Amino acid sequence: MASVTIRNVEKVFGSIKVIHGVDIEVAEHEFVVLVGPSGCGKSTLLRMIAGLETISSGDIMIGERVVNKVPARDRDIAMVFQNYALYPHMNIFDNMGFSLKLRKRPKSEIDRKVMEAAETLNLRPYLQRSPAQLSGGQRQRVAMGRALVRDAQVFLFDEPLSNLDAKLRVTMRTEIKALHQRLKTTSVYVTHDQIEAMTMADRIVVMRDGRVEQVGAPLELYDRPGNLFVADFLGSPSMNFIEGNARRSDGAALLETANGSQIPLPENAPVVDGQPVVLGLRPEHLSLTDPEEGFAATVKVVEPTGANVEVFFDFAGQEVCAVFNERYPLVAGQKMAISWLPDKVHLFDGVSGQRLESE
Amino acid sequence: MQSKLIRSIVYWVILSPLVVVILFPFGVMFVTAVRPRDELFVFPPTWWFSEFRWGNFAEMWVKTSFGQALLNSVYVSVMSTLLALALSIPAAYALSRYRFPGKGAYRTFLLMTQMMSPIVLVLGLFRLMVALGMVNNLNSLVLTYAAFNMAFTIWMLQSYFNTIPRDLEEAAWIDGATHFSSLIRIFLPLAVPAMAVTGIFSFINAWNEFVLALTMIRSSDDFTLPVQIYSQVAGRYQVEWHHVMAGTVLATVPVAIVFSWLQKYLIRGMALGAVK
Repeated sequence: MASVTIRNVEKVFGSIKVIHGVDIEVAEHEFVVLVGPSGCGKSTLLRMIAGLETISSGDIMIGERVVNKVPARDRDIAMVFQNYALYPHMNIFDNMGFSLKLRKRPKSEIDRKVMEAAETLNLRPYLQRSPAQLSGGQRQRVAMGRALVRDAQVFLFDEPLSNLDAKLRVTMRTEIKALHQRLKTTSVYVTHDQIEAMTMADRIVVMRDGRVEQVGAPLELYDRPGNLFVADFLGSPSMNFIEGNARRSDGAALLETANGSQIPLPENAPVVDGQPVVLGLRPEHLSLTDPEEGFAATVKVVEPTGANVEVFFDFAGQEVCAVFNERYPLVAGQKMAISWLPDKVHLFDGVSGQRLESE
Repeated sequence: MQSKLIRSIVYWVILSPLVVVILFPFGVMFVTAVRPRDELFVFPPTWWFSEFRWGNFAEMWVKTSFGQALLNSVYVSVMSTLLALALSIPAAYALSRYRFPGKGAYRTFLLMTQMMSPIVLVLGLFRLMVALGMVNNLNSLVLTYAAFNMAFTIWMLQSYFNTIPRDLEEAAWIDGATHFSSLIRIFLPLAVPAMAVTGIFSFINAWNEFVLALTMIRSSDDFTLPVQIYSQVAGRYQVEWHHVMAGTVLATVPVAIVFSWLQKYLIRGMALGAVK
């Protein structure tokens, strides 16, 4: 097992720069998730770690070794592909044992390791089948098994669950996490699904347009997103943003929206009079309250999910989503009042999008 | 169930005229081939024969030295197919997997060579073979057939190679395979159907080729089948039609064998299940 160090790495395709100087440290045994919208360069970065893509500048190190010029086969990594990439002309046993066979390991060792991996992944009954005869979830397991038998330094996952149906995705997510907790192999996992990122990662790297937006533990990013992009990307339903200008008078701070509504901000909010500000509120931090204490909001749409209810309000001229655990008898058009705890408020600069941190 | 049966009967009825068009020449060939010699030209013509003479084939085999011509044809067709495949597989792989300057121009060039009739080139090729000292040598045919087929085989192989997911090779590299061993163990086994199809086409082209063979080969010992059969007709006082027909019937057999042997690869969709 080894760490992975990415130091000021850039990638240029022709004249287009897709990765702009990225620095990431993946510690030994750590499970790091690269997450971002499609086209943000996360897969390219993973392929550069794997050695499938050249590095335009900067260094990638696996353990203490700079691997910039090392071919994929000598990097001692294992990779699970989005579409599994099982060898269609080999049965499951041979698919899983292929890497060991290439390394000319004795047959007894190949047998033992493949059997072990098959046992772990419940693939014993399928070893003699061909990949075409397996279901999507089973193929996914075989792809994992192929990585498992390797005892590789690092596991790389390239959106491994995106071809599965929703239910299976949740199951496999848990399985992969459980597997990592047992094996502790250093892992880099790429996904565009923020739920996968939140649930699986030790640390999340949020990327956009070839740059790292923020790095941190899942809840750290969720609770203190460094900018509007991260705040918007993590969480489902995503954070509500209310745009306006800050007003300060007599020490009190408030937000004035385009339609003239005024929303009080925490007193210690680091804003100056006239500054464009975005107020961020997580849907689960909103609650219904008495009309005297809260802010007027009109119910637009009610979407029960079973576990909770998502309610969309018309609030201060903008649409705001709230998630309630109680099943309030709400109907569209109803006038209600909502409120939130002041310490749950996120403030961002309206121009730069950066988080405004209260002292 | 009922409607399916009716539909297939209708299809058969509609398509049967085509079957007649294709089978009629074969029928005439075969019937003529097994007739006694004196029934070749009778009036009014008859469609059948009074006596079934397998003996015609044996006679023909000896008289026209069919065996030698068959061997020549097999040699030329097999060797030119192998040569064409051996050279076009790397070319098609490069076109499918790598970016290099002039790639588009090269593809267009390949296509353009197909627009030129070989007949136009016969004189030039003959001079070339004279210069190489290869006239009257079967290898001259191996070379030219392979060359003529390669544009097609490269084009065909490339479009199939494009359908083989790159991920499979990448997975093999990560598993520890060199480029060469991933090519041998992963890529080529998956490309077998394409190689079979192009092989069949290349083989049949070479087998049927006439003009070049007539030009390059002087001595009757080296005649390929089409030329040998032609020589039984052209420039003779008396044409032994039953022998000619027996020869043509036999000449179609190897193609049928090759086709039936390789056709199973045509329908084996091996890349299925590789990726979702």
